[in-house]
Amino acid sequence: MHNVWLIAKREYFERIRTKSFLLMTIAIPLLMGGGILGGAMVGHKTQSNSHIAVVSSDLQMATDLQTELEHGKHTKMVVDIISPPGADTRKVLDGELADKQLDGYLWITPASNSHVRPRFLWTPKSRADIVTRGAISEALRTVMTTETLTHQGMDKNDVQLLMQPVELDSSQAGKNDDSESAFFSAYVLFFLMYFVIMLYGMNVARSIIEEKTSRIFEVLLATIRPEEMMAGKVIGVGSVGLTQVGIWLLTAILLTSTSLVAQATGSNFHVPLTAMQIVFFVVFFLLGYLLYSSIAAALGAMTNSEQELQQLNMFLVMPLALCMFSLSFVIPNPDGAAATAISFIPFCTPLIMYMRISMGHPSWFQIGASILLMIATIYAVLWLASRIYRVGILMYGKKPNLPEILRWLKYS
Amino acid sequence: MAIVELQNVCKAYGAKIAVDNLSFRIEPGTMFGLLGPNGSGKTSTIRMMIGITVPDSGTIQLFGKPFDRSVLKRVGYLPEERGLYKKMKVMDQLVFLGQLHGLDAITASKRAHAWCERLQITEAIHKKTEDLSKGMQQKIQFISTLLHEPDLIIMDEPFSGLDPVNATLLIDTLVDLRKAGKTILFSTHRMDQVEKMCDQIALIHQSKLVLAGSMREIKSQYPRNRVQMNVTGDMSFLQHPTIECYKDYSGHVEIQLRTQPGVEPDAQSLLADAIAHGTHISRFEVTEPTLEEIFIETVGTVTETNPTGGSLDA
Repeated sequence: MHNVWLIAKREYFERIRTKSFLLMTIAIPLLMGGGILGGAMVGHKTQSNSHIAVVSSDLQMATDLQTELEHGKHTKMVVDIISPPGADTRKVLDGELADKQLDGYLWITPASNSHVRPRFLWTPKSRADIVTRGAISEALRTVMTTETLTHQGMDKNDVQLLMQPVELDSSQAGKNDDSESAFFSAYVLFFLMYFVIMLYGMNVARSIIEEKTSRIFEVLLATIRPEEMMAGKVIGVGSVGLTQVGIWLLTAILLTSTSLVAQATGSNFHVPLTAMQIVFFVVFFLLGYLLYSSIAAALGAMTNSEQELQQLNMFLVMPLALCMFSLSFVIPNPDGAAATAISFIPFCTPLIMYMRISMGHPSWFQIGASILLMIATIYAVLWLASRIYRVGILMYGKKPNLPEILRWLKYS
Repeated sequence: MAIVELQNVCKAYGAKIAVDNLSFRIEPGTMFGLLGPNGSGKTSTIRMMIGITVPDSGTIQLFGKPFDRSVLKRVGYLPEERGLYKKMKVMDQLVFLGQLHGLDAITASKRAHAWCERLQITEAIHKKTEDLSKGMQQKIQFISTLLHEPDLIIMDEPFSGLDPVNATLLIDTLVDLRKAGKTILFSTHRMDQVEKMCDQIALIHQSKLVLAGSMREIKSQYPRNRVQMNVTGDMSFLQHPTIECYKDYSGHVEIQLRTQPGVEPDAQSLLADAIAHGTHISRFEVTEPTLEEIFIETVGTVTETNPTGGSLDA
């Protein structure tokens, strides 16, 4: 056990000290945080704050539109009213448009009778400004509906009440009270797990190949067992991954709990991470990492170079890719038969069962059973991997074929 | 009590027999040479001694007890394929390897410093291993083998790739260690290199033991029928009837005399004949056959009929 600890310690500190570790630890959350912040900023920005002019001989309609656009829910525009239009109004407005004083103008030609709609002519500075265009179109519809209803003798307060948007109260939905961001955080954690398991699994394989090419393992084998060597490696590399994920999660929690993001963006965006989500994340991350890294250890022992490893790493990628594909029917129905079945395939359990816990309601029995099944699988894979490892690391030269590997399992 | 004792050890990798019924013992305080051409099973034998692989049959005893991993703390092993962590600093590396052999970090560091001084590589201590020259890396590797003061030192082809200066340094250190009572086993395919160092040898050929025992015993079994001469001038003495065969390396002549069983060959008449011909002689030495010659004599002609031994670098 002392030897396992020594190997793991060396592996851990040598990796933590590298520049690439530091770079990744800082760069990934920056990228992710940047993405989130940027997304929120863009969301904020989609409130159009253009400066436009409304030209209409119908002053009432123009004023209503102005109120709607300047104080509406999603718009903070500056609206000038020109009513009624003079002979050179169009020329002046086109000039202002060219001088970039205006972002566009709306020319309203009132209808000749009440059964025909007025004509709206929108002249934007840039045709790409679909946000402003959408806002105007929405505002116009509200204004016209209100006007029509008022015309038909409806009380102004009643009209306003009618025009209120309907709010869906989902606060009774239990833990998914903020289902959109809950989904978002589950999704982010899913990819984090996928990414880290993949990355650090491959790191185990790579580190074994490195020791094979530098031939250091034979020095090590003179004092320690191959099993201890493998265990130390898996634990050491895994701890690095855990450290990294820990730093990331902590940053995420700090950022969201201090509502730093909310202040920065002016929206109440937050990532709800429940304690249970974090606990299960750690449990499934560890199980998943153990499973995949022991496969990777066997792959590393079988091969002599990174190139050869690349040919074999489909054994790692395929089950993970399967999880990714299955998301398309796990997410809409996390407690359905298909999702349940997939979450019991040990190679998919860490990712899919975790997704189901975040999004659905798997029973405790299912969670427990899937974990037990995984532990059994990990035990079997470790047994196989350590045998392959023991013989494989002493092999140089040509890549072993399947019958040879099967024979290795029989070596004592 | 023998430090190492092998009895009827066999090991096969698939169809290839690496070690065939090998038995020998190494007494405490000896310098033991495990000799044989490439692919004869030296590395396979050594790997079994330290438990990296397990023999198919036969027994191996270290320090008088059946093999047990706990004795590995008393063994220092230098593999044929040298290996160090390239990115690690030299001192971290030595301390790590020392700790694996059961030392605590402080002792390991102290001894590593002392060894670096002894082998004149103190300037390398704070460098990364990959920045060192090959010779320095070899020394680091050598130190890592000896850091835990093992009673049994096993070195697989320790002289391969060493320049003459470092080879001499290594030989001197090994001789010192033997004087300090350590048992040393090393393998090599260069028999000429180790002839003067070994107390005992075991010669392996095609996975089988062909010759074993103390150097003196083995040599005394062979008549002193070799003559080494450095000569210039008239070479007609080479037609002398006592000469079985000779090799003339322009100035240096190696002569094998005719021998009859039980009769010490007589080189005197040859010397007299040469002087009579007026040949100028700067060296005339009667010797036993070299280890290499003994080896060739024992296995007959060395027919390299076994070129397959590659995949396991046995």
